[in-house]
Amino acid sequence: MVDTLAIDMTGVTKTFGPVKALVDANLQVSRGTIHGLVGQNGAGKSTIIKVLAGIYSPDAGKVVVNGQELQRPSPAALEKLGVHFIHQERLLAPTATVAEAIFVNQEPRIGPFIRAGAMKRESESIIKRFFDIDLPADTLIKDLTTAQQKIVQISRALARKASILVLDEPTAALVKREVNSLFSVLRRLRDDGLAVVFISHYMQEVKELCDVVTVMRNGADVGTVDPRKTSLDEIVSLMINRDMGEMYPRRSHALGESLLKVEGLSRRGCFEDISFEVRSGEVVGMTGLLGSGVKELVECLFGLETPDEGAIFISGEAKRYSSPNVAVRSGVALVPEDRRAHGVAIDLPVRDNITLASLNRYTTAGIVSRSREAKSVDRLIDDLSIKTPHRDQLVRNLSGGNQQKVTLAKWLSCQSEVYVLDEPTVAVDVGAKIEIYNLLNRLAAGGAAILFMSSDLLEIEGFCDRAITIYRGKLSGEFSGAQLNSDTLLASASGANRREAPAA
Amino acid sequence: MTDAATRSAFDLAEHKSSIAVLVAFAAVFIFFAFGAQGFLSLTNFLNVLVNNVVLLAIVALGMTLVVTSGGIDLSVGVSLDLASLAFIALLAHGYSAPLAVGAGLLAAVLVGLVNAILIAKMKISPFLATLGVLFIGQSAQRLATNGGQPIYLTTSAHAQTFAAISRSSFLGLPTPVWILIACIAACYLAVHRMAFGRYARAIGAKPGVAWYSGIRVPFTLAQVYVGAAFLCGIAGILLSSSVRSYVPMSGNAFLLDAIGATFIGTALSRDLRPNVGGTILGVVLLALVKNGLLLIGWNFYWQQVGIGVLVFLVLAASFGLRRRGD
Amino acid sequence: MTAAAEPAQAPTRHNRGRIAAFAIRVGALFMFALIMAYFAATAPGFVSTFNIINVIEQSAILGVLAIGMAVVIIGGGSDVQTGGIDLSIAANAGLCAAIYALMTNAGYNQIVTVSATFAAGMAIGGLNAFAVVWLGILPLLATLASMNVAAGLELTITENTVVGTTSSLLTVLAGGRFLGVSALALVLILFSLAAALVIHRTPAGVRLYVVGGHSEAARAAGLNTALYTASTYIFSGFCAAFASILIVSRLSASTPGTGELLLSVLAAALLGVVFSRRFIPTIGGTLLAVLFIGFLANGFQLLSISSYWVSGVQGVLILVVVAVTTFARPQER
Repeated sequence: MVDTLAIDMTGVTKTFGPVKALVDANLQVSRGTIHGLVGQNGAGKSTIIKVLAGIYSPDAGKVVVNGQELQRPSPAALEKLGVHFIHQERLLAPTATVAEAIFVNQEPRIGPFIRAGAMKRESESIIKRFFDIDLPADTLIKDLTTAQQKIVQISRALARKASILVLDEPTAALVKREVNSLFSVLRRLRDDGLAVVFISHYMQEVKELCDVVTVMRNGADVGTVDPRKTSLDEIVSLMINRDMGEMYPRRSHALGESLLKVEGLSRRGCFEDISFEVRSGEVVGMTGLLGSGVKELVECLFGLETPDEGAIFISGEAKRYSSPNVAVRSGVALVPEDRRAHGVAIDLPVRDNITLASLNRYTTAGIVSRSREAKSVDRLIDDLSIKTPHRDQLVRNLSGGNQQKVTLAKWLSCQSEVYVLDEPTVAVDVGAKIEIYNLLNRLAAGGAAILFMSSDLLEIEGFCDRAITIYRGKLSGEFSGAQLNSDTLLASASGANRREAPAA
Repeated sequence: MTDAATRSAFDLAEHKSSIAVLVAFAAVFIFFAFGAQGFLSLTNFLNVLVNNVVLLAIVALGMTLVVTSGGIDLSVGVSLDLASLAFIALLAHGYSAPLAVGAGLLAAVLVGLVNAILIAKMKISPFLATLGVLFIGQSAQRLATNGGQPIYLTTSAHAQTFAAISRSSFLGLPTPVWILIACIAACYLAVHRMAFGRYARAIGAKPGVAWYSGIRVPFTLAQVYVGAAFLCGIAGILLSSSVRSYVPMSGNAFLLDAIGATFIGTALSRDLRPNVGGTILGVVLLALVKNGLLLIGWNFYWQQVGIGVLVFLVLAASFGLRRRGD
Repeated sequence: MTAAAEPAQAPTRHNRGRIAAFAIRVGALFMFALIMAYFAATAPGFVSTFNIINVIEQSAILGVLAIGMAVVIIGGGSDVQTGGIDLSIAANAGLCAAIYALMTNAGYNQIVTVSATFAAGMAIGGLNAFAVVWLGILPLLATLASMNVAAGLELTITENTVVGTTSSLLTVLAGGRFLGVSALALVLILFSLAAALVIHRTPAGVRLYVVGGHSEAARAAGLNTALYTASTYIFSGFCAAFASILIVSRLSASTPGTGELLLSVLAAALLGVVFSRRFIPTIGGTLLAVLFIGFLANGFQLLSISSYWVSGVQGVLILVVVAVTTFARPQER
């Protein structure tokens, strides 16, 4: 029935030059449903949402929202219709208070002045009502955790009586408990009659939460399924048109000696007495909830912070680093979580990025030999299949997966031996993910030791030889073989188990 | 946005801004060639070169270094002035010329070190740090000279030293020009050919990435600010030799033009990044414009307006066209 | 699997930052008070009503300009290098003062003169707005260029001389008293009050902070960021014109040295952030900073400390404030 359709997009086409971003795509979202939208990067899911949001105007097709056809959607017009977008980037002013962030552009007023007291009370009550937590309205946005900022974002939409909520990767920075909390809020909103569009790369969550899922591929919707009746494999194969069994490539090489060894590492307030080892050729996964100490541990391994106690051994030698510079010289590489802020400089060319950590290999008497550099860079681009027209192309013009490859190339150029990867496949489409796994396998086969941090437990299960979990700063489990699966990992990471004896 | 679409738009912008700037200056040049008496003579150009270009160029080179690393240095004038002060003061007290020159350079380097500590160690933003140094430097100069009295050294005792530095020539070119050439060569190598330049540029592009790639960020920044100050020190000594005195706060006049020249250079580059060649071109263009305005009879104040408008237009071209390319 | 129970109160991070921030604010106020107390104890005549009123009057000009600068910084974001700043405000004031003085001397009536003054100030402001918003030029550079233009124009029309003038308006401002308070002091108080009301109590003010805090967020919230940013520059042009009339009233002339006020204006706007919880400029904080700078210079004067120290002390203060506030902020790299 047309009446119950909150969003009705039909035959939407959008091209950018020679690229067909959307080809006759459709999206129908009913009221009172949670509608998942999945697809690889470049498949069209972000484009179709941007068309809905009025950021792009379609070359063809109809966009009907709540029964009204929109000729030229704009954020203001959409808000009037009750459509609210919760973007992936938390678009909040860091120096604003919670109350201000929720009510900006719709402040309660009396005459020309703001009713500050009313604004505060209302913001606290909305948050309490929907999320059941007490968040003081005076708190500054920059003092909030990521999850709290998401809550503020959503509260803003709720304060304006949203009837359609579009969430773009809302759980990317949340831990399980916060995700569950968000899901129960979304379910309640659905039961109240809202239409919720849930865009995500996290397949398990999509399956868990959504009533219906639309899969996009190559600019078109290739299927709309009921996730409760469809297996994950089927959904993913719709997305990439490929067997999911090939998702995690296998390794089969012998392990060498210990390249990274951590003994009794402690940092006050972050983690305590951590000891583990990664051997040459090994891929060891590490996971923990937000706040468990994993991030801080990574920082210590790379010299961004110093531990209070304990020792780090690289290739058997004890190291004390005070800065990443020493870590890099010792052969440690870090592929950071925040690619844009720490991984690659998008305003610099591919060449500059790749050789950034290894320039001394190409310099004589301080001068860089551009020809030697070019040869090496070209070889790496080829090796890693980085899709770029030229080595001097700016990194900002590359896709997310290729940008991540540039980061890896940087460390390959350095001939690092120990790779510490922090959420390396986040916001990377499935095709590129598999390429990255293959790459890491080659590194391992070549003798590198890989420490793989991820909050995607399926990924750890599928890809790693061994895994350790950290709970509240302490090592809570070490798993391998049959013991290494997402259930045991989850249990251990959330503290349900005590520390097990290391599996054989 | 797709690869192809962004790439073609970007390519256009790459050259749009350089072309716009060059066309604008060509127009101005032609205007002066016809309208200004004596503009197109070798003596005039040489005169402009020696008197106006050399000092500004050296300071602008320092500014280029700083802007490359993502910062700005409002204290270039202070480095220049304190070098000048140390140089003249030591000469006045009878110390030998090499010692005086050394002292001048040292004074400048000390200013650079202060900047380096504030910016690299204490992580204060370059604008605020160098602003603070500017305030303090002005105060220091006023206190040292009881309100801004210049120190003149016009006696013949020092005339030889001054002449050796600023009035001698070698192979047909005045010594200051040779010094400038050396500075240009050194800066070009540093910024465009050495690892140091790559590090500075990375810090300017995304400091987080530089840090996470193992670059010694504080050390590179220290080199940048000390290097810039050192260059200003050279300029200060050249200036003092030329006018045979130390005039407090004379460095102030260089700040705006150095920034202007650096950004003209940015507009002229393919990837809208600061560069040595562009900065020098920017200095030359500014100097020629001022010279042309002078020759057609605009008084000093109108020149200032003219230069201000010009820098404005260059910035408009550089930023405005860059935006369209996004 | 449920995790152990978490407290119902939402935990906040950066607690060290918040405590440090609070400490800095208290510390700053304490230091302010301490220095005032020192002057009160040692400087002859510091605490007299006459002196205090005098300082407040002297601060009127700096106050108006600093508020203009603060508004620009608020709306443009406080990353001073890439955010909002108006380096042309002092030169603009100099230009407006010259226009006022010259036109008054030329015989135009006050209404025309005052209108022209404000028109000039807001024209420069409009130029800045155009450059920053439409052309996308970095405010630091755009206002640097317009500062040059304004300064050059002022030198041109006055030929680098002091232009003396008198008018009825100036006489009222310089000498008038209402309810026992001098006109200049009254002007400062009223202006600040009005600004504070608009910036801190109206929706426009809150939205301005959001525009400056995160322009994309502001746009996502439906705000027309271009309009807000442009308005801040026009407002600062307005402040320049306003201050210029105060300048002429104090000196009975316009003078080419007005541009040198820029450093003090910057100092005031930057120091003011230390008085706010969020370390961004506020009207109240800016006013406090202005008064502090005023009393500092005044104290030096009464203690016969050379005025050449003032600029240096301001510089040190800025560095101290910035160093300390940088320390309190969580280390971002």
